[in-house]
Amino acid sequence: METESTLSPERAHQLADQRALVERARRGDASAQRELYESHVERIYRLTFRLSGMEHLARELTQDTFVRAFASLDGFRGDSAFGTWLHTIAVSVSLNELKRRKRESARAAPLDEALTMSRTAPLSDPVLRERLMAAVNELPEGCRTVFMMHDAEGYTHEEIATALGVTTGTSKAQLSRGRAKLRIALADLAEEWRP
Amino acid sequence: MTDPMNDKPFQINFGDDADVVLPDDPQFDAWIAKAAPSLNAPSVAPRLEMWDAIQAAQKTAAAANAGEIPGVRPLRRSRFLLPVAIAAALLLGIAIDRISFRPSGDVEAPREIAKTAPTQDQTQPVIPNTERRVGSIAPSTRNAAPNTTNQRRDVRTPDVNSSDPSRLYRLAAVQTLTQAEALLTAYRTSGVAERDPATAKQLGQWGREVLSSTRLLLDSPAGDDATLRPLLNDLELVLVQIIHLSGAPLDANDRALIDEALRTRDLLPRIRTAVPAGTVGTASDD
Repeated sequence: METESTLSPERAHQLADQRALVERARRGDASAQRELYESHVERIYRLTFRLSGMEHLARELTQDTFVRAFASLDGFRGDSAFGTWLHTIAVSVSLNELKRRKRESARAAPLDEALTMSRTAPLSDPVLRERLMAAVNELPEGCRTVFMMHDAEGYTHEEIATALGVTTGTSKAQLSRGRAKLRIALADLAEEWRP
Repeated sequence: MTDPMNDKPFQINFGDDADVVLPDDPQFDAWIAKAAPSLNAPSVAPRLEMWDAIQAAQKTAAAANAGEIPGVRPLRRSRFLLPVAIAAALLLGIAIDRISFRPSGDVEAPREIAKTAPTQDQTQPVIPNTERRVGSIAPSTRNAAPNTTNQRRDVRTPDVNSSDPSRLYRLAAVQTLTQAEALLTAYRTSGVAERDPATAKQLGQWGREVLSSTRLLLDSPAGDDATLRPLLNDLELVLVQIIHLSGAPLDANDRALIDEALRTRDLLPRIRTAVPAGTVGTASDD
């Protein structure tokens, strides 16, 4: 994670600007809130979409993340980047909601929707993509979250660790375990990755 | 939208071996890293729609917190909610305990007590015209209980069968009246400590539940009880007033209306008299 002593002058200046922006938003300045929203909404939306797999749910989770963040700005101490803090809220809001929904309904329906909602398909074989998605959904929560954040969305282990409140070692181990479980679950498709 | 203000920080249970790294397969890892971005691939973020929704949610939350939206629960919790809920649960528990584990016929006792000990409730500053309430349960007090213990024993009637339908209705009446007592006590307390519209709304919701039970009782054989019916009728009127006025912040006139109704109908003392648990000092006697 970034600390004041390791920052470049340019980055330190950006953080100072951001703190000023957050301070304005804290005082209820709607334009400052809008600016913060525009700076971060794309990445937050992508993350909630990855975790939920549903467009309408990703939209709700993104909205909830910002509503909660703006209401809790007093709790933002400014010792980390606003984006990092926002991602922590987004992960918390998303996993809470997904857990709640999981309790309420069977997993099958969201899974079906998740599969149909995927817009891009580098995996050309739909059967293969379906198998992979099903295997990912079977992963334990921690492994699945770390896998989606790292492999699907490109977060660093440092970012994941901060968002989940764990060490980078745990993040790396969870990714390794998630991949190993996927490898076992997809063992019959080994020809896909073996040269 | 969900209620983001109620979300607790999420804690994933990674298990005891969370940090144990399993052997990698570089070929699979490379393949999965390439395939993963296609899983749940996001569409374009609907920025404007989401921003509008965020602003609307902020406005609604602010209005609800300010008590400007009738029927919408404020995001902050009333400090009275928990004590009131605990008090209600305790009262109900005591009532059920006393009713369930008491020899049959005991439920009739309070009426007899009331007839023999019509003393003034010291929690009420003024209780006018209590003697004129013909047919209703006369006011009694918790303080009068020590004098009534022996009388309670005297009036127990062992011939009342526990499966007697009228007794069952009376048990239901006692439960409803216990709830009503807790509600009215909470109402009075809230009036003394804080004129909070949120509390008024919560009391209104609670009042609706008690009112439903009260009306069911009025339509049941319990409503034919000459002593119970006037009390239930008066309780219904006061509950309707509380519910009616709970949709908006109560001003001094609103409260005065309800307070006047409570006073002139002697509601709390009569309820306490009708509910066996309202008589202190009997538990050890049973």
